[in-house]
Amino acid sequence: MMRHDADVSVISTSGLTMQFGPQRALDALDVEVPHGITGLVGANGAGKTTLMSILLGLRRATSGTATVLGLDPTTQGPELRALVGYGPERNVLPEDMPASDFVKHLAEVRGLPPDEARGRASDALWLVGLGEERFRALGSMSTGQRQRVKLAQAIAADPRLIFLDEPTDGLDPVQRDEMLALIRQISAEYAIDVVLSSHLLEEVERICDNVVALDAGRLVAGGSLADLVGNDEGVVLELIEIADRPGAVDRVSATLVARGLEVRPLGIGMVEVIGPDVDLIADAVRDAVADHGARLGKVVRRRRRLEDLFHIAAEAPS
Amino acid sequence: MSDAQILDRGYRRYDGGRSGVRGAVRSVVWHTTRSILGLGRKGRHKVFPVIVAAIAFVPALVFLAVTVLFGQAGEEIRPEYWEFFGFSLIASLLFTAFVAPEAIVRDRRDGMFALYLSTPLTKPTYLLAKAIATVGTLWLIIGAPVIMALIGYTAQSQGPDGFVGWIGVAVRLLVSGLLISAIYTAVSFAASSMTDRRAFASVAVILLMFGLSIAVNLIVDEGQMSEYLRLLDPLGAPLELPVRMFGDRSTEYESVGTWAVAAANAAWLLLPSGVVALRYRNLAAV
Repeated sequence: MMRHDADVSVISTSGLTMQFGPQRALDALDVEVPHGITGLVGANGAGKTTLMSILLGLRRATSGTATVLGLDPTTQGPELRALVGYGPERNVLPEDMPASDFVKHLAEVRGLPPDEARGRASDALWLVGLGEERFRALGSMSTGQRQRVKLAQAIAADPRLIFLDEPTDGLDPVQRDEMLALIRQISAEYAIDVVLSSHLLEEVERICDNVVALDAGRLVAGGSLADLVGNDEGVVLELIEIADRPGAVDRVSATLVARGLEVRPLGIGMVEVIGPDVDLIADAVRDAVADHGARLGKVVRRRRRLEDLFHIAAEAPS
Repeated sequence: MSDAQILDRGYRRYDGGRSGVRGAVRSVVWHTTRSILGLGRKGRHKVFPVIVAAIAFVPALVFLAVTVLFGQAGEEIRPEYWEFFGFSLIASLLFTAFVAPEAIVRDRRDGMFALYLSTPLTKPTYLLAKAIATVGTLWLIIGAPVIMALIGYTAQSQGPDGFVGWIGVAVRLLVSGLLISAIYTAVSFAASSMTDRRAFASVAVILLMFGLSIAVNLIVDEGQMSEYLRLLDPLGAPLELPVRMFGDRSTEYESVGTWAVAAANAAWLLLPSGVVALRYRNLAAV
């Protein structure tokens, strides 16, 4: 389902800065967010919530500019928010309100006529898997069901963009997989752009097309996930120690270091060997394993992960 | 052949019009009114509003019954129109303290405030919607009984003389009822904006309205102080508005000028409203 203007950024910021007294929550942020699912990642206090509140037009930035769906959140907040859905992080919802009434009411507040809001509330709840449960009071629902209700209210008024703040918070692994699949489905089938704020890098890597990574208010990395993560320099080894050759694994690592390679332990028997030429690394590993009598369980190309981007940023001179 | 059809709706695009800020305000007003009155909620939420409404309407119903039963003979005990506002005092205090805080405290506690501000609403339009709903509902307690009495008297041919006279009385009752409701709502909201617990808000409203009222009147009566001090009574001072609108003066405010009554009530409306605006300006939504 196409409804994007592919050339226009969903979100664009330039020099966006937010100062709270002596503390700088956002530091000259330049971001271009294209269509699709965008992960807004960073630790607590990185500036994710501040950025979201500015993009929703709920805070005025100290300096810099931002546009969302081509609108200025500062001066066109109400118009913008009519086109945007929002799923808050807090799991607290009106206890005695049936899910259908809750979703319908918010769809009406977002501008839909009452009859249309009623129908769409029902449709949205069916879409998120709560069709049979839609008349149940929110207070009687599980955490997983509440997360789905929050998603349903965010999409009920047919937004062009939804902001989801930690949508998998409090979910078990199975529920998390289902929620991520649902977000992916909503974006792919209904062409709704998604900005997903999360501190879980793994889930962002799983479903996002783009990433905006923040650390202490600064942009650590931004752009297509495919460009930011992927094959990197080096290999990952699984070394298995043989009973009559104690200490062989440590000696393999020491030999690789002696040959000028960087070796990082990843866990029991797992090491990362980093160097510019994968073929040379492979030869060095083969020789070291043969010399010291260790057994090689697995050799794979090293992949750069989102987590590495944060390490690189932390190590870079400010 | 049956006309029945199976409609496969499913989630789909919406290309129709959107009602914008006005629609958002209208929706929140209606939703809040229902919530305050306990409509669409469990039975226990309806009990208190029903009790308060019953207390408010009983005096007007009694006087109407006297008029119906005794006709002109009942005129001697019939109160002035503006006196009906005083009959609603207990009911309006109960409503202001125990029901009105529901309008804004609950939203902050159950996350609706953040959700509302992610819609076309802004903080001012959100507060406007909440105020309209609360003033409107409070008017049902304060203003509706006297309007009902006016209509009842008119039906018994004992209402104001002439169409113009009738409209004049009705407008004054309507306006003064709305002003009293607005002032009580402002005071209730000011107290409610300070806490996320409805019980604390109720105690604060009781202390501010009932406590201050008793204290001020004790000081004036027992201390032989100026009647102007009674203007510091947020419960009683607004009730002097309809008295002045009907060209009268109540005994408690005999020596107080009308301009002072108007100024004091303006202050009771604007100062608490300012407190609410200040509190919400600093309140983070997301």
